[in-house]
Amino acid sequence: MQSLTNLQKVLIIGSGPTEIGHETELDSATVQILTQFKKHGVRTLVIDNNPFSVALEEIQPTNMYIQAVTTPNVRHILEKDHPDALIATLGGLQGIRIAQELLENGDLGRYGVTLLGMPTSTLRQINNPADLNATLKEIHEPVIEAQVVQTTDEALGLVENIGFPLIVKPVAPRVDTNRTICENVDDMLTALNQGFQQSRFDQCTLERSVVGYKEVEMVAIRDAADTELLISGLENVDPIGIHSGDSIVVTPPQTLTDREYQDLRDATFRIATEFGIIGVLHVSFALNPANQHFYVTKLAPYFTRGVSLAARTVGYPVSLVTGALMLGQRLVDVKLPSQFTKQTAVMEPTSDHVTVRIPLWPFQEVPDADQHLDTAMKAVGSTIGIGRSVEEAMLKSVRSSQFSPRDVLPSVSNLTDGELISQLIHPLANRILVLIEALRRGYSPDELSELTKIDAFYFVKLQHLLTIERQIQEHPRDVEVLQRARYYGFGDGMIARIWDTDTATIRQLSAEAHIQPTYKMIEPTAGEFPEALSGYYSTFEYENESRALGDRTALVLGRGGNQLGPNSAAEYFTTEMLKQLKRAGYHTILMNTNPNAIGIAPEFSDKQYVDPIQLGDVLNVIQVEHPDIVIVPGNRHYLTRELKKLDLNLHVLPPDQETGEPAPKMATIGVSLFVHQQQKVAVGVMDMIAPGMNKALSQVTAFRMPAELPKAKRNNLVEQAKQAVSERQLTGMVQVLFAPKGDTKQLEVVGVRPTRLTEMAFLSKVTGINWVRMLTRQHIQTLDAAELAKITVDINSTRVALMNAAFPFRQLHVLNRPGSTDQEVGATIAFGSSEALTLSNLSDTEELDQIINRTI
Amino acid sequence: MPKVVVDAMAMQRALTRITYEIIERNKGVDDLVILGIKTRGVYLAQRIASRLQQLENVTVPVGALDVTPFRDDIDHDSENDDPKVSAADIDFSVEQKKVILVDDVLYTGRTIRAAMSAIMALGRPKSINLAVLVDRGHRELPIRADFVGKNIPSSQRERIKVSVTEIDDRDAVEIIKA
Amino acid sequence: MAKRYLILEDGSAYAGEGFGAGATTSGEVIFNLNLLGYQETITDQIYHNQIIIFAQPAIGNVGINHDSYESILPTAKGMVVRDLTNISTNRLSKLSLDEFLRQHNIPGISGIDTRHLIRKLRTAGPMKGSIVDVADAHAFDQLNATVLTNRQVDQVATPKPYPNPDTGKNVVVIDFGLKHGILRQLSERRCNVTVLPWTASAQDVLNLDPDGVLLSTGPGSPLDLGTGVLDMIREVQAEIPLFAIGLGHELFALANGAKLTPLPVEYHGSGHPIRRIITNDILYATQGQGYAVVAKSIDRDRLITTYVDLINGTVQGLRHRDFPAFSVQFFADGAPGPHESRDLFDEFMEAMTSREG
Repeated sequence: MQSLTNLQKVLIIGSGPTEIGHETELDSATVQILTQFKKHGVRTLVIDNNPFSVALEEIQPTNMYIQAVTTPNVRHILEKDHPDALIATLGGLQGIRIAQELLENGDLGRYGVTLLGMPTSTLRQINNPADLNATLKEIHEPVIEAQVVQTTDEALGLVENIGFPLIVKPVAPRVDTNRTICENVDDMLTALNQGFQQSRFDQCTLERSVVGYKEVEMVAIRDAADTELLISGLENVDPIGIHSGDSIVVTPPQTLTDREYQDLRDATFRIATEFGIIGVLHVSFALNPANQHFYVTKLAPYFTRGVSLAARTVGYPVSLVTGALMLGQRLVDVKLPSQFTKQTAVMEPTSDHVTVRIPLWPFQEVPDADQHLDTAMKAVGSTIGIGRSVEEAMLKSVRSSQFSPRDVLPSVSNLTDGELISQLIHPLANRILVLIEALRRGYSPDELSELTKIDAFYFVKLQHLLTIERQIQEHPRDVEVLQRARYYGFGDGMIARIWDTDTATIRQLSAEAHIQPTYKMIEPTAGEFPEALSGYYSTFEYENESRALGDRTALVLGRGGNQLGPNSAAEYFTTEMLKQLKRAGYHTILMNTNPNAIGIAPEFSDKQYVDPIQLGDVLNVIQVEHPDIVIVPGNRHYLTRELKKLDLNLHVLPPDQETGEPAPKMATIGVSLFVHQQQKVAVGVMDMIAPGMNKALSQVTAFRMPAELPKAKRNNLVEQAKQAVSERQLTGMVQVLFAPKGDTKQLEVVGVRPTRLTEMAFLSKVTGINWVRMLTRQHIQTLDAAELAKITVDINSTRVALMNAAFPFRQLHVLNRPGSTDQEVGATIAFGSSEALTLSNLSDTEELDQIINRTI
Repeated sequence: MPKVVVDAMAMQRALTRITYEIIERNKGVDDLVILGIKTRGVYLAQRIASRLQQLENVTVPVGALDVTPFRDDIDHDSENDDPKVSAADIDFSVEQKKVILVDDVLYTGRTIRAAMSAIMALGRPKSINLAVLVDRGHRELPIRADFVGKNIPSSQRERIKVSVTEIDDRDAVEIIKA
Repeated sequence: MAKRYLILEDGSAYAGEGFGAGATTSGEVIFNLNLLGYQETITDQIYHNQIIIFAQPAIGNVGINHDSYESILPTAKGMVVRDLTNISTNRLSKLSLDEFLRQHNIPGISGIDTRHLIRKLRTAGPMKGSIVDVADAHAFDQLNATVLTNRQVDQVATPKPYPNPDTGKNVVVIDFGLKHGILRQLSERRCNVTVLPWTASAQDVLNLDPDGVLLSTGPGSPLDLGTGVLDMIREVQAEIPLFAIGLGHELFALANGAKLTPLPVEYHGSGHPIRRIITNDILYATQGQGYAVVAKSIDRDRLITTYVDLINGTVQGLRHRDFPAFSVQFFADGAPGPHESRDLFDEFMEAMTSREG
């Protein structure tokens, strides 16, 4: 490895729009690595076209390439800007694929760019199972023998040896695909046909299936001096056969013996050494529970949701450390901020709590998707619960995953026995509720373990929760039972519902009996050292470690796990809001359960609580922190209503997207105004594009600014919009919607609404003015009218911007079609001349895609 | 098929043990100089010196002995002619020093004999000790190593291949069947 | 389960639920930070006379397994945990942690704020404690009156020699409270082992004509064992390769003129980076120590420091200058804990082989 101490300019391949497979965790890691590089005086370039990227807000415009993340575009930057080094490990699988292509076609050599994070020999092997397995076999790591085939005939010749079930996987896939389990020849032929198309080499691999094995993931970090430490292990509750992104995950692993765990740790380190990883490595294993034999099933030397979860749960600052390692430092030399005990970077983390992650699926928004959980990932987000017992962590995470306004778990008691058994064997998104229901109906842990291949341990734990639930039912208002219930993670809302009372009563009873939450710090030494980190979770024990943060505090309630709809935009909003609050002198406290949230990073919030965002839990935090202001997201109506009853300085941000006014059927132009007292600043006039035949407002998922109208017309619409707003006495970030009047070309006002979160991000990126921060300042009354008056936005700019929503249809294997706003998974943005971004046919989604992803 | 008989970890361990044994035998590191026989013996010599540096915080001089006319191929010892060893690029005196001579493989002993002559030509050391990573037997001269990483009894038809990360990208000793 | 209490010397009492044996117990309260391996921990004789607080909150999850014993008859005084799962997972589903503790008359208490206790003990230092049914004045009186024995090694080490036959190198293991991990590592390397009581003389050892000798781990203070054992070490190390671990390491240091000091807080965990000085690389290993070698007391003409803990600066390994004799403070057998220091056993094997010339 060459010396990296003189790196001056580094290019990061961004992750592009959020999609199934990665959400905001990559952006979050990018932000932290940027911070680390900045500290070391390294200029960092980023290419990304995600309008909700926080990383793009953190860098100078001259270092920013808002372009489609494609190989030609990256090559163009290498050619033009001559970075010394390239980071591909923050761009998900796409980033790796682009780096592979640049390596194969000689561009890395041609432009003298060093690849950071791994040697090029390793880059070449990632996602090439044959090569990978050959190397793994060389170092005696057990792998499932994969045979490469180029034709179906070849495959048929191998079937007898491998046996069914077997797995088909494309070699070097162009897209983030997955293994397909085949039970018979027909399955196999179908999978092969698809796989050949997805493979960059028209090849697939066949291998023995390990369905039903335990899936364990290990996340490690390594430096150039070969110092290696394990950040954490992740145990998938669901067996192999269900994608780890769709599985309930528990960390640290609970059902492994030390010997099994250490064997996997050893294997992880041998792999990290062999592949020369500098930074993170995420390895997946299939463990045969019958004989402890294991196979290496996946190797990801880049940032993943697993890395993010591992780091979050133990409190190890993985991104900061990786940034330092990429600059050539050794783990022993990494200096961390003062909150960390000296040498934390090189201490192997240990943990004194349990974290459970439950995925969130998009089936409500995309009901035609196959809802069975299998080897292809379908989840779009996740929530975590942290506790001091598996029960507590599990229940907290279930409560957060159900988005129940009143904190009550849905019941699946209406399932017939037949349906229940079928769902146990072929799990659906409500997996956890079905498991609980089966226990309720008297199945034993061993029977269920047999049916589901889930370790009986977890059924013992769920059964314990049911025992406590029965005790709650049988002993109304019994404080001992109340104590036990809260101790094991039951929410106030759940207990209130069983006792047929309200949350206030439960809280009253608890206060009288001194059953109070105690907050514990999330830190990597399990209490050995006095770390001063800022993340906490609640439990009900003896010692509370959390003290009020101090004067002038703002409590921000996050939106929980990512779902379809405006969620990654909401994440952007929350982070920018936190920044503004901080700038205004507030100490910020964030409550969130999304392990991938960006705002959770200490750069953006001074203190974090990882607890369900439910009334009881929120009130518990308020009781400790006494915040000066409380900010609740607009989509939490019940919570807002309940909090409004209390003496709190409450703000609703991001703003509620639903207003009293009925939405118009359709709109073709949107005029956004920032309204503050008497001022109405015109922010932008945009085309509202509904690709496809259906032009309903909910189908408007693409935007172009400025709208393709004569200048005078735009100015005229702004005047009309101001008029419309005056009549309605609105403030904040308002959007006035226009549509053609009847069959004429004449535009008329058809409605007024708060500017949607996605469009607010778009407007900020396009105008260069951060409207989220403006809105925040308006709320906290630090917005200066005189300053606002000076702001002028060129609504007739000749530079055109286009934003287009991304949808998960392809990954969910449903018909590709124009989607609606509540099906958005992310978005892409492009800038250019009006000619470059002109659409000949507004209904043509393919043309839209092509234009927005064009090579610059 | 080459068979790995010493892997990276075992090689590290062998060098570590040899280092400790050098300290034991010499009662410290005073007056020590290390001479490696090119090519791989030099890297092994440097590793031993860096270990001594770590342990004792003393810089022990390291020099290189060049074997000519043969290339540094793995079985130079198998040649029947006596090799010639040149000590041209050693920039310190061996006069009254304890010399540790380092090579990767000890075989017939002819290279070592030539190396000793070359050293003697430079001056009169107090002593010469021999450290080798591998002793494969089949000596043709009365020479034995003082420090041995691993004894690998081998047939003369086999070849012993030593790889070091500095030039071969990995650490290993392999037996290759002829 | 019955309500029970953990009481401490400083007058504090914590209510929890009893498990395991119902006996009243007293001991020195220490904490263990390892993520896994409660069975290995509770059966390790270094915990003789001690009550162990587990940092990892979920304990008992994998029951009791036949290959995770570090001794057959555990002598720890108690277990303090946050959350117990009473489950059996071995082939006959016969033995849970709870049942195992009952069989061995070891009490446990669950539902305790173990994180709080660790935060307290990390600054307060060593403390006596009891697990009792009632936390009244009488219980505290009893606790305060308790004098913990300093004859731990005598209590747990074998009084008689026994063999662990195989066909390889002849190794004598001196038992100070041996953990089985050491025997497993020697077995894997086909060693023909004879375990001798710690009172064996150098002559007893050398009469067996072994290829090497290993000084085992054990409980308590190395300062309580008298000088006979130090004489034995000095004589044996000059004759055959010697490898010492844990308490064995401490005795090896004493025998060669170094001094020992009690740590302000016992350390039991595996998260500290340990630097191997000779190669300047870093490894992790389970450490379990109440004493440390005083770095300044090391006679550099006799001993070389080979390993050091980068967090607390303690000496973690020594080697004799003149003999193939070396020692480590940490548990090189890795049961429980990381495995990367197991190659010290290979180093020991090679020292024995090299000796033969």
